Amino acid sequence: MLKIKDLHVSVAEKEIIKGLSLEINAGETHAIMGLNGAGKSTLANTIAGRDDYDVTAGTIEFDGKDLMDMEPHERVAAGLFLGFQYPVEIPGVSNLNFMRTALNSVRKMRGEEEMSAAEFMKLIREKAKDLGMDPEMLKRFVNVGFSGGEKKRNEMVQMAVLDPKLAVLDETDSGLDIDALKIVAEGINAQRRDDTAVLLITHYQRLLSYVQPDYVHVMIDGLIVKSGGKELALELEEKGYADVA
Amino acid sequence: MDDAVTRSYEKQAESLMGALAGTDELRAQAIKDFAAQGFPHAKAEDWRYSDLRALRAEAFEPATHAGEKPEIPAAMTECAARFVFVNGRFSESRSDMGDLWQAASVRPLANHFMANPDRATELVRGRDGVGLLNTALVKDGMVISIPAGVEIDDPVEIIHIMTNAADCAAHTRHIVELGEGASAHIVERFIGDDLAYWTNSVLQARVAEKAVLHHTRLQEEGMNALHTSKTHVNVDADGQYHATCLSLGGKMARFEAHVRMMVDGANATVDGVALTGTGQSHDTLTHISHSMPHTTSDQIFRTVADTRGKSSFQGKVTVEKDAQKVEADQSFKALVFDRTAEANAKPELEIFADDVKCSHGATVGELDEKAIFYLTSRGIDPKTARQMLVEAFTAEALERVENDDIRTAMTAKVNAWMAARASK
Repeated sequence: MLKIKDLHVSVAEKEIIKGLSLEINAGETHAIMGLNGAGKSTLANTIAGRDDYDVTAGTIEFDGKDLMDMEPHERVAAGLFLGFQYPVEIPGVSNLNFMRTALNSVRKMRGEEEMSAAEFMKLIREKAKDLGMDPEMLKRFVNVGFSGGEKKRNEMVQMAVLDPKLAVLDETDSGLDIDALKIVAEGINAQRRDDTAVLLITHYQRLLSYVQPDYVHVMIDGLIVKSGGKELALELEEKGYADVA
Repeated sequence: MDDAVTRSYEKQAESLMGALAGTDELRAQAIKDFAAQGFPHAKAEDWRYSDLRALRAEAFEPATHAGEKPEIPAAMTECAARFVFVNGRFSESRSDMGDLWQAASVRPLANHFMANPDRATELVRGRDGVGLLNTALVKDGMVISIPAGVEIDDPVEIIHIMTNAADCAAHTRHIVELGEGASAHIVERFIGDDLAYWTNSVLQARVAEKAVLHHTRLQEEGMNALHTSKTHVNVDADGQYHATCLSLGGKMARFEAHVRMMVDGANATVDGVALTGTGQSHDTLTHISHSMPHTTSDQIFRTVADTRGKSSFQGKVTVEKDAQKVEADQSFKALVFDRTAEANAKPELEIFADDVKCSHGATVGELDEKAIFYLTSRGIDPKTARQMLVEAFTAEALERVENDDIRTAMTAKVNAWMAARASK
């Protein structure tokens, strides 16, 4: 589904990712672990298409198509989703208006019919309920005045509504208490199917107890230095990054 | 200023003697004062952001109206009445009197003064050259008097259309009077073609005790037009005045709101949005004076300026010495699309009382790139994302338009403006 080959990415002319390769197939869940500054978020943002991230070499293919040829919104229509480490607050735009515009924009790009307001309300209420979000929060401005946990939960509601093929989740576990973590993990697990894939980006092993990955990769200084099964996460937790790598 | 310009306006004023019963003396004094002081100087503090060179360069002739067949814009909502002015003259045939006349007194300016020549002194004379010229050259306008206790639910539209009037001007004057406990919603619309004309309009209103006046202005002049308009409002005890202005058109457009809070309990809100495209200049000046205690005012202005657009806001609040317990707030925020766009903010508080709560805030910024990426990362194209952010940015300043249809129409105009920004 996702094929990254020899990827080099610079931000403000500083090389952050230095020749990274990674392949993710349908039905798989991968976790990339690493310390701050390893380039994990840069990788996530590059996949999503943030324009101040320069791909200087290498390729990213998604479902056989060159991702670099697509604008960020087109990548969403192709089935990509980025869960933000720091979800953005947007005063004046309600969650409902935001998500309905997003979903209908995606459907339009896919040549599907737009969803009626009634259908959409039913869908988002259901997803919010699954993720334990107060329906009143749907009427509020996007992430404005939300706690860290509420913001992450909101990301999960957005993911559930857009139902992506590949979800790239950047530090979705940070800032969550244990109850919220469990709910978010359930949301992620619900997104794991034979035809979908998930890429978790995280600092800690904590989330991986609830969302068990098929593969774990260790990222240091812009490269994947080691890959393994889910046991690698435990090893990292025990011995630290320096010893494992 | 060119003497020829002054002479031309003197001649125009002379030819209007006798046009409005009882006003000759006022007209003569206004043109005399105009001749003495001319148009406001570029360095005059209140006018520093308005470029009046075109007015100083040559005199604008009186606009004629014969034979013009302009298209009348559709009403945005069910209206109690619609009054159409073509090139500054009331067009009865194009207007729809509705049944407003049954509940209120409605008549053109000439009829009003013919019936009440003694009331000419009530015309606000104007202090600067632009205001004085309106008084000196006014010929037409609408006088709307709502008797005490009468509530007019549907909006009353006053539509100003300029057509085929190159180098011509229209100086209209409207008078709105609300009796005790009355209420009304006046919607003023300004539209025109692409010729270089000048609209110079004044609306003066008196809001009696416990009366509520909503005043919505949609300025969509042609892109080569000059637009200067002033609103003078006096609000009595527990009266309310709520104004919202959306400015889109004009090469140089200036709007002034002068609101006097005359008696305890008076409340005013003056809000506005100005969307300024390439080469346009929008200037808003508000002056809210609190002369009595327990009066309140609130102002929310949002401006968006595209490449080489210029938007300015000067907001002055005066609180007199004995006007204690006054609350006055003011918020101005400007968006600029790039470095060639200009936004100016000049909040001014003159407070002579000591027990008041007054605040003001002004910010200038660009669209938040992080927010744009967040929206696009959910599948929204960048153009729609920017449109959503601009709609959200301006929404607060349009919120107090009490008629849902009109507010929706105004929001649609904001979105249409953004949709027309090709590269944004």
